[in-house]
This record gives sequence, structure tokens and C-alpha cells, in this order.
Amino acid sequence: MQVNMKKILFYTLAASLLLMVFAIPACKKTDLKMSTTEDVNITGYLEKNADSFSLFKQILDRTENAAFLNAYGAYTCFAPTNSGVKKWFAKINVSSVETADINVLKDMVKFHLLTDTITTNSFKDGKLPIPTMFGQYLVTGVLFDGTNSSYSINRQALVTQSNIKVGNGIIHVLDNVLEPAKLTISKQLEANPNYSIFVQAMKETGYYDVLNTVDQDTTKRWITVLAESNKALADSGIATYAALKAKYSKTSSPLLVNDSLHMYMAYHITSGVKFLGDIISSPSHITFQPQEVLTVQLINQEVIINQNEFNGIVEKGILVNRKTSDNAATNGVWHDANAHFTVKYRAPTALYWDVSSFTEIMKLPAYYKKQSYTWTRQSEADQPFKDITWGWGSLAGTNTLTYSYSTTSSIAMYAYNNDCNVLPMGLPARPVSWTMTTPPIIKGKYKIWICYAQQKQSSSSNMLCQVAANGELLSRTMNFTETRPAGTDAELEAIGWIRYTENVTTQYAGKLVGVYEFKTTQSHKITIIPIGGGTQNNNNLDMIHFIPIDQDQILPRFRPDGTKVFL
Amino acid sequence: MNKVIKYSLLLLAITTSLVSCTKWIDLKPNDGIIREEFWQTKEQVQAAVNGIYSSMLGSTSGDLALPEYFFIWGEGRTDMVTPGFKASPQEYEFVNVNIQPNNNYTNWRALYQTINYCNTLIELAPAVLKNDATFTKAQLDQAVAEATTIRSLMYFYLVRTFRDVPMKLTATISDENIQPIPKTSGDSILTQMVSDLKASEAGLPYTYGNVNTDKGRVTRFTLNALLADIYLWQEKYAESATECDKIIASNRYGLVGGNNNLFNALYYQGNSSESIFELQYDANKLNPFYYMHLASTRRWGASARLMDEVFGVDILNAIPKVDARGDGCALRPSDLTIWKYVGANSYGNSMRAPDQSFAHWIFYRYADVLLMKAEAINQTGKSLEASRLVKTIRDRANAVDFNGTMDSTSKSGMEDFILQERQREFAFEGKRWYDVLRNAKRNNYAKVSYILNMAAISVPSDRQQVAFNKLRDKNSHYLPIYLYELQTNNLLVQNPFYK
Repeated sequence: MQVNMKKILFYTLAASLLLMVFAIPACKKTDLKMSTTEDVNITGYLEKNADSFSLFKQILDRTENAAFLNAYGAYTCFAPTNSGVKKWFAKINVSSVETADINVLKDMVKFHLLTDTITTNSFKDGKLPIPTMFGQYLVTGVLFDGTNSSYSINRQALVTQSNIKVGNGIIHVLDNVLEPAKLTISKQLEANPNYSIFVQAMKETGYYDVLNTVDQDTTKRWITVLAESNKALADSGIATYAALKAKYSKTSSPLLVNDSLHMYMAYHITSGVKFLGDIISSPSHITFQPQEVLTVQLINQEVIINQNEFNGIVEKGILVNRKTSDNAATNGVWHDANAHFTVKYRAPTALYWDVSSFTEIMKLPAYYKKQSYTWTRQSEADQPFKDITWGWGSLAGTNTLTYSYSTTSSIAMYAYNNDCNVLPMGLPARPVSWTMTTPPIIKGKYKIWICYAQQKQSSSSNMLCQVAANGELLSRTMNFTETRPAGTDAELEAIGWIRYTENVTTQYAGKLVGVYEFKTTQSHKITIIPIGGGTQNNNNLDMIHFIPIDQDQILPRFRPDGTKVFL
Repeated sequence: MNKVIKYSLLLLAITTSLVSCTKWIDLKPNDGIIREEFWQTKEQVQAAVNGIYSSMLGSTSGDLALPEYFFIWGEGRTDMVTPGFKASPQEYEFVNVNIQPNNNYTNWRALYQTINYCNTLIELAPAVLKNDATFTKAQLDQAVAEATTIRSLMYFYLVRTFRDVPMKLTATISDENIQPIPKTSGDSILTQMVSDLKASEAGLPYTYGNVNTDKGRVTRFTLNALLADIYLWQEKYAESATECDKIIASNRYGLVGGNNNLFNALYYQGNSSESIFELQYDANKLNPFYYMHLASTRRWGASARLMDEVFGVDILNAIPKVDARGDGCALRPSDLTIWKYVGANSYGNSMRAPDQSFAHWIFYRYADVLLMKAEAINQTGKSLEASRLVKTIRDRANAVDFNGTMDSTSKSGMEDFILQERQREFAFEGKRWYDVLRNAKRNNYAKVSYILNMAAISVPSDRQQVAFNKLRDKNSHYLPIYLYELQTNNLLVQNPFYK
């Protein structure tokens, strides 16, 4: 028994030894990670790559930014390499980080930081979506050096490595230091002798001071100017400031707002910081001259302003020189217009708008002026038309716009061009509004007539609508199920009706929906909103007439073959 | 006594564990065949060949089907398409010339999977000769030649899309074969493919004696068409024309007649007399295009300018001429649906049902051969002869002369016109980007303007200037290497444009 006990002891010992031999290393191997991530933060990345970024890191240390860039957050950091920082030091005559002016360094750091994560996906022709912490925007682009392309920032530095994801944001590596603009728009233009006439005009009209202030309120600070160089003016026969003044200034002083030189200058200024990439993303921009807009188009990749078509006549626009534009200043940006332009006075002119000649149908030669065609919007997000949309109807199948063409059916046989647009409307389930973008309308006061081919889907159908211009409701209603009352032209006009077709059938009715003053000369929005509880599919809209209030409202009338008659 | 029990228990334990161990080691999978048991008979070789074709129809590993990549690579960056409202941000990156290395559509894995099936067959099929006496050398050569042709086709896509890629010509059969491979230059890959193809040519039959098999499997004419295309890319025009002539002289192919027949024969029915090689989708295996093009789930639609500016509208004749390849064939202009893959008739009013979405993916057809030959001989100075070939294509399609006629006296004029004609003829067949790039890069990028002009149409206005300067860098014409590949293969070097 004694022996056995000993043996048991021996085996136990042996077993535990074996266990120790095998188990302990296994224990050691389980290396528990105590951190959730091993990603470094911005500061950590710069430290890790000290041979490229030691100087920028020193600057962050000296300006006491290193700590906050090592903390949690979402930043974008444009990190200049050591050679870039050295070039900058040489340029501003600084020997080392320690001897540099601390405020200059602080501004430099702020100008390289954005408080959001911006990848190269957001680099377009123009400014980044948010400003730097310094307050000015950065402009992006791509530079091609003959063999390679790189992103350029502010035309000052190239991105040599992009989209480096770190724990608290994104780093883009730059080969040069970015320097913020130091001068205002006024000072920049003044420093450039090519703009002497324009600057002189700025001074005399009082806009020099406006363009020379940097408003502390960033919502008001930014201004965009389209400057005209001396050459652009000379091309229009204006060689001196005196000539410009003589041409426009007809009052005692250009400082007066009703002086044409003042208007000329105001018309070249628009609020907000708009690089060319921003300018082309909106069809028109309101200028400092009240109620006047600059319209913008991109034609053959060039930015063209004020190219418009009025009553079939194209007015040629003004080119903006890309190479000499996009000049950032402390209070905005200025561009270089290739030619002289100013506010144009246009008398209000009637627009007889055939709504059923919209771009999308004109691209279908098999249908346009040949047969009907129906579009179905697949979802609220689906927008198949450039200039037409409607409030989504919950009954999905009613979201259809029909180009209705016929020379025989009573609906279109007397309509202008034998066609009209048809959209189901009405609460609760059909489209709740119908919005169209008009061709350019010259500013002024107009009577608006909705011209339609009356139809009742069933004997009880009703389609009472209100109309809004640019979102403002007009005073009178119209109803797609109502025929034109009887009476002479004069009697009808007095109660707000016209016969707009040559044919006298009362089914074709023009209904006055109100008087509206268009404040600017550009495309506007007209919205038809059903308000009566009724609902029907057959709302046949043929034309909308915009007729200046002091002009003949009754004539011309329109024929199915597309011509006008004046009797 | 205790000891006896202890030892016998121990012995039992050891024996049991040993026995179970051997069983475990020897156990074969219940749901598959191992290599040693496969590769025994000619039927198995044939099954492996079929496997290569079926791998092109759709991935077995959950990846996208190859034609989806081919469509997006070949059309996404061009003026033929607009992204639909369900397009993903990654698809928009193609339109915006802003492709990042983490874009899923830059993943080349599906192509390498097919390449590995080819490599496996090329490596293991020869041993079957010993095991199966009924398996002849000619059958082996044919199987290897089919695999070689498909492999070359895959590498040709890779080179045109990524330029320099890893070239693996041996099979990855076990884990030991998995090792990092560096990139090989695109030019060397193509040189290798040309010599592979030439060696395989004799092994391939002219016909399998069945129309559907002739269009669905690699024939000698498939190889000729592929070679002609590769030569064209390599700017070897005489060789390219020779390969085209082999197909033309065979008299086995002809153009399908115009009008309604065209859509029906080429795209709705498929396997037309014009077809040389196409992927045989059917009711059992649907193509990936239905929901991509269907209006309610659209990711890609046709560009709105195609009817006015590409196919043309006849305003001169009383009865207008209509290009049979435009309205109701390539597209339905009213809602800009890409009609080739989802349409059911040439009137544009009937669509395929979702379970009928098996329009084939056409790699090569006779029209392509004629236009490749035209492009090749035009470069060698035979512009007049080239114009005749183009005229054949145009007459068949009832094409409209809306923006000037062909100038058969000018080489550069014909080059431009052939490119335009290819745009009309192969609309949405995944060729446009490669056609434009091939013409742009000719003679050391003499005509980079082809790419820039296309970007002027396809890139959104607020990104155009950025896009132009990017596209002037020729590295930007090739996609980045997918991030995952870079991380797993440390010998890969990213395309320098995507720094």
C-alpha cells in the first residue's frame, strides 16, 4: 500500500509536470489585446513617418496642436512634407521652427486642417465643401505635368499621397505649404494693372470699399466678382475710364444707385464664395444690382454667362476665362470675364409657352408631333424630366405623364400643335402638384393664363386647382373640368377667360390665374396644385401664356398646325 | 490489479485514438470529388471544360458574374450610359473618373478564378491519356486549346483594364501553390497570349456540328477573332487583318439582315449566323442585367444624346431612314432603357419577363471582325477598302448619314469614322471604352483627344476640368488594383496614378 501511495504520488507529479510543460506556454501565447484598434491618429502618423513630416510635427508641437490632433475626432489634414516646409521657410525668411513667428505658424496649421473627413472623392472643379479652420476655402483641381496627373490644392501644392486613413481622420500629403490669401478682392485687382479701369470704376461707384472689407460674420463675408480686364473693355471700344464713365454715368455721380455705371458695377458682383465649379452648378446668380441675375451655361466645357434665348433669338453670352479665374481673396473670389457686359434693359415680352414641347419628347422623333407617349415615374426619387416634376402620388400607377397627340380626338384636335400634356392629379392618392420650369421670362408684371383642353373623366369629376409662381400662390383658381363660358372676347376677358385657339369650341379654355411680377429675368417655376377634393386623370394642359399686363391678352390665338392668328 | 486496469485502460485509450485518427486522416469529402479520383476519364476532362464555360456565366464563390464586370469596365466610363437612380456610389465613381482602390468593381478575382480553371485543365488533362484509352491526343489538344483560348481572353480583358497584372500560367491546386506574384507588364502578357494562341490554333475544330455549340464553345474562329483583337491592341495591323481574313474566307458567317430581324436574331434569340462566340445564358442561368436595366431598379441607362448624336435622326427624306441598331435595338429612347438585354421586341413595347432574362453576352460577332479588319487595313493605308467594309455594316443597318459622310481618302478621317461606327454597332456590348482607349493610345497616345471628348460628354459639369487633367495621365486609363489584392499579395505595386 505504501508503495502504491508512492506510485500514485509519482504519477500525479509526472502528470502535473507534463501539464506545466504543455499548458504554460499555451497560456503565454494568448496575447490579449487591450486596445480596440491599433490605428494611429494624425499626430501618431506624422511621428511614425518622421523622415517626411518631422518639421510639420514640430510646428504642431510648437503651436500646441499636436495634442488635439492625437485625440478623438474627424479631421482632414493636409500635411506638407519636410521639403515643402523648408521651401516655405526659405520663402518667408525663417531659419527654423523655433525662430518662426508663432502666429504665422498657427495660421499655417489652421489653413491645413478641416473639421471633417474629406477624401479625394470630394475634390471637384472648385472649393471643398467646408472651409479650413483658418476660415478660407481650399480650391481643388488636377494638374497634369506632361506625364502624370496629381490633385492640386489652391494651385499651390500637389497631393503626393492621398486618402491615408488614420484613427481620427484623413491625411493628404502635400509637396508644398498652402498659403492663405492675404489681400481682399479690391487689393488684388488693384495690384494687377490689367484691371485699372475696372478698379477705377469700383472706386468711383463706392464698391471698392465693399470689396475691401472682410466681414467678421462669415455668413456675410464672401463675395464673388466678375472683373473685366482693360483688354475686355478695349475690345468693346472702351479704352479709358473716362470712356466708360461717359458711356454709362448719366447722373451727377456714379455713387447713386440709379446711375448706370453704379448698376454696371453692381451687376458684376454676387454674394457668396463661388468658384467656377460652383458658378456652373446653378443656372443663375442674383447680383448686387437688385432683381438682376447672371445666367450661366456650360457650353463646350466653357463657362458662358448670359447666353439666353428670348422669343427664338439667341443672345450670345460672355466667356469666363478659366485660366485667369478662380482667384481666391480674403473675402471671396474673383473671375476674369472675357468681354464687356452690363445690365440689359428688356421690355417685358409675352411668352406663349407650349408646355408639350419639352426636351424629352422632342428627343423621340417617332412620337413628337406623331403619336402619344406615356412616361411612368418609377419612384419618388426617379426624375425623368429636366423641367417637369410632380408631387408623388401614393397610388404609384398614377405617376404618369402623357404626351397626348391626336388630330382626330376631341382632346387634342384643336390644341396648339395637336398635343398637350396629361397628368393625373388630386388627393388622396394621385400626384399632389405639378411643377414646370418655364423658358426665360423677362422681368415684369404678367397675367398668367392656363390654357387647357377641358375633359371630365366621369360626370362627377372635378379638378379645382390653384397655381403658384415661384412658390407664391396666385389669386385665382382654375379647373380642368370646366369649359369656357359663352360671351364675346371682351366679356370673357373681363371675367378672366380667353379663347386661345382659333377654333371656337368651348372645350379649349384659357383661364386667368392671376397677375404676378417676375422679379428677375430667368426661368421660373409654375406649380399647379389641386385643391378641391376632386381627382381625375385627364388633366390636359396645352399652353401657359405669360402676357405683360399692359398688352393685348386676347390675341394672338393658336392653330393646331403651330401657327398664330391675329383675329 | 490496479496496475493492470490502469495499463489496459491506457492501452485502450491509445488504440481507440489511433484508430479514429487514421479514419479521420483517410476520410474523403462526402460532397465532392478529390483530384486523385477525378482526371481519370475523357468525360471528366469534358466536364472540366464545361466548368470553364460555366464559370464565366456566374461565379461559384458569390462574386459578380463576369459580364457585369465587362459591362461596367467597358461602358461605365463612356458617353453611352448614364447612371440610373439605383446606381451605387462605386458605379458613380466610374462616371466621375474618380475610381478608388476600394471600389468593388476593380476586383479581378472572378477573372482569375476562370483562369485557374483553365490552368488546372491545361496542367492535369494530359495525364488522363494514360488512364483512359478512349481519350485521344486530338481530344486532349482540343480541350487544352479551348482552355488556352479562354485564358487568353481573360488576360486580354485584364491587360486592357488594368494593364500590368500578375500572370499565372500554372494551376493553383493546393495551398502550397498560393504565393505572392508580382505584376507582369501588359505588353509581355499579350506577347505570351499571342504565342499561346498560335500554338493552340491547330487543336481547335472549325465546327462542332451544332449551331448552339459553335456559338457557345470556342472554335478556331473564336481564336482568330481574339487574335485579331489582340493584334489590333498591339498595333500589329497586317497580322490582325490576316486573322480577320481567315474568318471572312471561311464563308461560315454573314451579316444578319436589317430591320426587325436584327434585334430579334442577334439579341433576343441569340446564336445568330453572325455570332462567333457568346455566353450561353438560358432559363437555368440568367444574366445579371435584368434589374440593372429595368426602369424601376435601374443602375444603368442609355445616355439621352444617343438618338440625336450617335444614331442620328433623318430629317431629309420624306420617309425617314431609321438606323436599325438604335431605337428598339440598342435602346428604348423614350425611357432610355438599354434594350439589348431586357427587350423582347424591336418595337420597344414588350420586355422580357424577369425569368426570361437570358440575352447572351456577345464576345465576338462577324460585324466585329469586319470592323476590326477595316480598322487594321485603314492603319496600313488602305482607307478606301476599309470604307467599303464600313459601308457593308452601315447598309445592313440602314444607317443615317446625319453628320457627314465617310471620307475614304483620309486615314485619320476613316479612323474617326470607324470608331463612331463601332459605337453604333456595338452599343452596350462592353466594347466602347476599349475601342476609344485603343484608338487614343495608338502611335504613343497621338489621339488622347478621343478620351477627353468622351469625358466632356459623360462627366458631370462640376467635375470636368478635374477629369480632363486626370485623363491626360495615361495611367488613369487603367483601373487601380483592388485594395484586398494589395494587402494579400505584397509583391503587387499599385498603379502610380492612384497614389
